Amino acid sequence: MPATRLFRILLLTPFFLFATVPQQPRDAEKDTTAILQANYLYNIAKLVEWKDTSKRSGNFVIGIIGSENLYQELIKQYGTRTIGKQPIEIRKLPRSADVESCHILFVGRSDLALLPDIYKRMTGKPTMVVTEYAGALEDGAVVNFVKVDNLLKYEMSMINAQKHGLVMGLTLKNLAHRVEE
Amino acid sequence: MVQRILIAVLLTVVASFATAQGDPLVEALRKYQAGDVAAARTLIDEAVKTDAHREDPEAWLLRGFVYKDLYKGTAEIGEGDVLRDEAVASLYTCVELDTVGTYRDNATQAYDYLARTYFNDAAKALNEMEDERALVMFSKYKESVYRLDPKADLMAREVEFHNALGTVHTKRFNQDRTAIDRFDKAIEAYKKVLELDPENYGANYNLATLYFNRGVYQIRRINADDEIPSILEIQAASREHFQEALPYMLKAHDMDPARRETLLGLEGIYYSLQDQQNSDKFRELFEELPPEEDR
Repeated sequence: MPATRLFRILLLTPFFLFATVPQQPRDAEKDTTAILQANYLYNIAKLVEWKDTSKRSGNFVIGIIGSENLYQELIKQYGTRTIGKQPIEIRKLPRSADVESCHILFVGRSDLALLPDIYKRMTGKPTMVVTEYAGALEDGAVVNFVKVDNLLKYEMSMINAQKHGLVMGLTLKNLAHRVEE
Repeated sequence: MVQRILIAVLLTVVASFATAQGDPLVEALRKYQAGDVAAARTLIDEAVKTDAHREDPEAWLLRGFVYKDLYKGTAEIGEGDVLRDEAVASLYTCVELDTVGTYRDNATQAYDYLARTYFNDAAKALNEMEDERALVMFSKYKESVYRLDPKADLMAREVEFHNALGTVHTKRFNQDRTAIDRFDKAIEAYKKVLELDPENYGANYNLATLYFNRGVYQIRRINADDEIPSILEIQAASREHFQEALPYMLKAHDMDPARRETLLGLEGIYYSLQDQQNSDKFRELFEELPPEEDR
């Protein structure tokens, strides 16, 4: 086989390798935001106390609306973990404001239109609403993912937490990008 | 054909020695003509040590051909390398000593053939993922070409070789992501290509891919044992790789704005840099492209 042909074969290879990256950029394996959000949610869950006694037993439910990759990542990495003694249960929820009670409810940016109704329905309920859009804390979210200096961080509202009967740990507060008191 | 011409040339020249019984050059030629290359080797090695033939270009020409045939006849790589080096050195000595140019064409033709085999072996070694041997062979290729023609232009070969070398290191790194030396060597190889040819699409694209994949891999390793401070540290480390990837992918994109893989590559890099606006922009550009079969 001529040398040039050998080189051509070699040179084509990385294009095929790379094809696994960009051909499906929202492939869960490469969705860095979903990976980070999943870990944040897990750590946040560990650092918050639910005052409502009904939330202190049974499964620890994390509901996901609108982010398939986040759901998959949570199942894969955290699906067999516990929060305290409560086994984590990850639920993929339908795209509807008629959501069931969860410990944590994440609403992705593709479903922001549902949020006004969701905030209304969750008023006073022991559910931590987590979102990812500017101005979310003002609207009623307890935790909101923000993009700062090319990094994914979170901000939180102590006021909204209190409204949902949540005690946010000091560590969580100290590590937040911004805390609305 | 070359061999026949060589023998004819040598027969003419050594005719004056024909009666010189025991002249190792004459004996070596006879053995070579008879196809006994092993015996010719012993005799020609003896001949070039004698005062009569030490600086005799025809003796070195014959030695070059004898060793070339021995090289072609061996299947053992190590032995073949030694035989080829001897052949190349002998042919070069012939050219150096041949001030009137009697043997130059024959010698350089064989020399060029052997130089090309170094390059072919470099390519073969890369294909077999033997990067160290590839580097040795490529170095010998360059050395042999420049020795005969110091002004030779090997840029295209250099680019081709270092691109392929980068691919081998990338493959090795993809097999074992803890092998950071492979990552570094791949980066070095592609950067070498860009030093020679800044407009090389493949090197720009592959460098971007390499940095991007490394950043993704670091984030991918995040697990339940990582607490928030480590997520921030890992993100910061990955961000550096994404930022390093960006200019190379942008350059590749500028070179060919309709390439799907760079549009998706940029979408992925910006996404990982938490730059949703630019990520969406390149996603849209990608989606605006007509289906591949229609282009």
